[in-house]
Amino acid sequence: MKRQRLLANTFLFIFLLMFIVLPFVPLVLSSFSYNWKWPNVLPEIFSLSAWKYVLFDNSGTWQAIGTSLLIAFIVTAINIILAVPAANALVRYPLKGRWLFEAIIFAPIVIPAFVAVLGIHLTFLRFGLTETIFGVVLAHLSPTLPYVVRAAMTSYNTLSIDWEDQARMLGAGPLSRFYHVVLPHLLPGIAAGASLSILISLSQYLITFIIGSGQVMTLPILLFPFISGGDPAIASAYSLVFAGMAVAALLILDLALKRYYKKKQAAASKGVRE
Amino acid sequence: MNQLRIIQLEKKFEDRKKDENPVFSLKPVHLTIKEGEFFSLLGPSGCGKTTLLKLLAGLEQADQGEIWIGETEITNVPPESRNFAMVFQQPLLFPHMNIEDNIAFGLKMKKVKRAERIERAREMLGHVGLKGYGQRFPDELSGGQQQRAALARALVSDPRVLLMDEPFSALDPSLREEMRILLSRIHQEFGTTVVFVTHDREEAFHLSDRIGVMSDGNLLQVAGAKELYEKPASIQVASFLGLKNILKGSAGKFGMENRSQQVELADSRKSSMTHLIIHPEKLQLSTDLEKQSTAEEIIFEGIVKQLRFNHGFYLCTVQTENTLLECSISSRQAETVSIGQKVKLSAQLKGLHFVSR
Amino acid sequence: MLRKIKPYLLLFPAAATIVLLFFGGLFDGFLKSLGYFPAIGETGFSLKAYSSLFHSDAFWDSLIVTIRIAAISSVLSAFLGAIVAVVVFMMHEKSRSGALNLWNRLFQLPLTIPHLVGGYVIVLLFMQSGFLSKILAKVGVIEQIPDFPVLVNDSFGWGIILAYTWKEAPFVALMVYPVLERIHRKWRDVSRVYGAGNWDFIREIVVPAILPAWTVAAFIVFVFTFSAFEVPYLLGVTYPSMLPVYSYQLYSSGTLADRPEALAVNLILALLTVLLGLIAYYFSKRWNVLKGWE
Repeated sequence: MKRQRLLANTFLFIFLLMFIVLPFVPLVLSSFSYNWKWPNVLPEIFSLSAWKYVLFDNSGTWQAIGTSLLIAFIVTAINIILAVPAANALVRYPLKGRWLFEAIIFAPIVIPAFVAVLGIHLTFLRFGLTETIFGVVLAHLSPTLPYVVRAAMTSYNTLSIDWEDQARMLGAGPLSRFYHVVLPHLLPGIAAGASLSILISLSQYLITFIIGSGQVMTLPILLFPFISGGDPAIASAYSLVFAGMAVAALLILDLALKRYYKKKQAAASKGVRE
Repeated sequence: MNQLRIIQLEKKFEDRKKDENPVFSLKPVHLTIKEGEFFSLLGPSGCGKTTLLKLLAGLEQADQGEIWIGETEITNVPPESRNFAMVFQQPLLFPHMNIEDNIAFGLKMKKVKRAERIERAREMLGHVGLKGYGQRFPDELSGGQQQRAALARALVSDPRVLLMDEPFSALDPSLREEMRILLSRIHQEFGTTVVFVTHDREEAFHLSDRIGVMSDGNLLQVAGAKELYEKPASIQVASFLGLKNILKGSAGKFGMENRSQQVELADSRKSSMTHLIIHPEKLQLSTDLEKQSTAEEIIFEGIVKQLRFNHGFYLCTVQTENTLLECSISSRQAETVSIGQKVKLSAQLKGLHFVSR
Repeated sequence: MLRKIKPYLLLFPAAATIVLLFFGGLFDGFLKSLGYFPAIGETGFSLKAYSSLFHSDAFWDSLIVTIRIAAISSVLSAFLGAIVAVVVFMMHEKSRSGALNLWNRLFQLPLTIPHLVGGYVIVLLFMQSGFLSKILAKVGVIEQIPDFPVLVNDSFGWGIILAYTWKEAPFVALMVYPVLERIHRKWRDVSRVYGAGNWDFIREIVVPAILPAWTVAAFIVFVFTFSAFEVPYLLGVTYPSMLPVYSYQLYSSGTLADRPEALAVNLILALLTVLLGLIAYYFSKRWNVLKGWE
């Protein structure tokens, strides 16, 4: 019985390992390889040259990372400013035509963004918005905003109006109420929505390419020529940087939120000791 | 004088789908609450007492009428500027602030300096018996402690009126008793005007200087506890207060539906009144079956159905011809009667209370 | 008065942004697909782009390939996702909370990484001279590169299917997992009381319970793979290409004459996704799929 369970456990473990970790093995190996020939399972020569090129020789890498993050953060900041009031209205107020508003705001979840972007491309061109970071930011808004609205709505759903009434009775005006009562409650939800927004913005290729016309160099734009037929070692290294950037952005946000709560917790435990 | 005056205050809630009939409406309320008074609004849920409280707080807008405090009209002043305080059913302590910051929140909104804020918050914590809890977070306190902290938060900025919306209803019965005593003491100490909403009769009777009984959006009667009990203005009030022995009658004849058993009352002054209330302690039980009604006294005859022990005395339920009557008797007397026994109940006409419909 | 219009004021910025940038784009595209384009002097309306599309084999081939790839990807990722959910669930029961957290994060990894990287991972693994091919050669199953089947940039679309299956399986797992968790906590004991064995429990309770969430998750994967661009662009062939790629090819092929056709493809694509999206929404509402995990 016990052995059977151990066997089952091992099996489960291997399955997950195969599923998650194995696909990354060639990617990592390839990034450290030099002229890796078939049929060697391991590269015959390990080399840091691809990484050296990606991280040091090609100054475009850091610029592209910076551009990607800049766009992602601007997009997310705009999204939060737009989404919080909208979520407030959708959750807490009686609305005529609520379904219409929801359909409008959530439509970009279903309809792919490039459909709209291809349609508006020539209009953007006329207004001089192509080849600009601002234009790319505008293009990134519609595929990301619905997710932030959704996350904010989930938070608003769990915030009873009583809290704000209580703050009002203690003399808090509209701004104070939002800052001291509503915002702390919404923060985890907003962070979740922001994570998605950042992630989606960072991984956009086509719409950045169309609106940026190859002039706004985000990391996916920089990376594409390499993975569609360039040097595999450099392509692998870039892919890892790209994936790493996405994962790191999420982890940092997650950590920041955890720290925010830990600080509160620490203050709490300090109080108990006194 | 900073009395709170409510002048013909009115509020309708419309059903969003059908515009014609309001789902609920608060009929015009006219009321003056004295400074320092402890005033309770008592009524079943959905009677409009919380609506009235929210109108006073400014959290709801009245359709008609005015609210004055002293010589200032505040009908259209937003809640945050009224300098009222409110304690809700739930403690609603902000979970991301410790108790001290929670209590000091109102002072912070008034731009009081931090050192003074904290000092006053700590002092107030002492008053509600939470000394030393200031650094804790709300989730580290029990329900009763949280509600005490909420009370401290309401009191610390010295509100002109303290509004309380069933603040103890979410607590255990034993804690409720404790909170009542605390609130009584604090009211005496601070002398704040309190408007207290509750559906709990005992709570209202225990705490209040005056009580307003509400039902279906109407303010039925405003009086002190004793007067409400002894002289309820209507059957609705009486039945909500849980008064027993309410007899229906007409034009001077009260008693059982059965005509032959009607109790004739030779008292023409009461001819407009249609109901008679006999408090259980006004009924004398006797095993002497020879007694007859007189001009001063009415007699009911019946059979003992039930004897219940209740806080040091017994409640005896007697089945008369067509109605059940309750009377309270001492433990000693209870030993002399047994269930199924034939008894007579007598009441002095003088002490009886008549009401109209 | 202000009270009444306040919610609309709150909604206005977000709704206006979407209307302007998104629906504006759709509408703009729609006008241009009809040949209306005043900037270059075209002010007439015609259905020419649509009719020439419906008469071209390229469009129909592309539609068929798109449906085929989306269908196979969604079915495969549904199965793999269900397996992952069950496996992670069983691991959870046994491991400590620290390891548990790690597993939770790890199995969402394919979800987090960008699609382009996901695609490239599949390239390195499955191309004819890729990692698997190397392993098989070392073991002695194949002898030369052409012995390994063409799985990347193949005309059937296996590479795309593999990439989506790998990337979307965690999504399916994420949808199914909360339902599994609910079952475990509440109903296992109840069913035991009524005498249900393990197998009865799975057949009578687990499967019916996860079926709605599972179906809807698979459907969402279908709608997504139907309309996504990056992976087929990287892993597909030039002909027949999936609809999004086909539209982009038409659009960027240079001649202005092809643009109305490209935008017509786009609008058909949008229409189809809306239709599919509505179906998914209808069933998710009807089956109450989202209740457990919101």
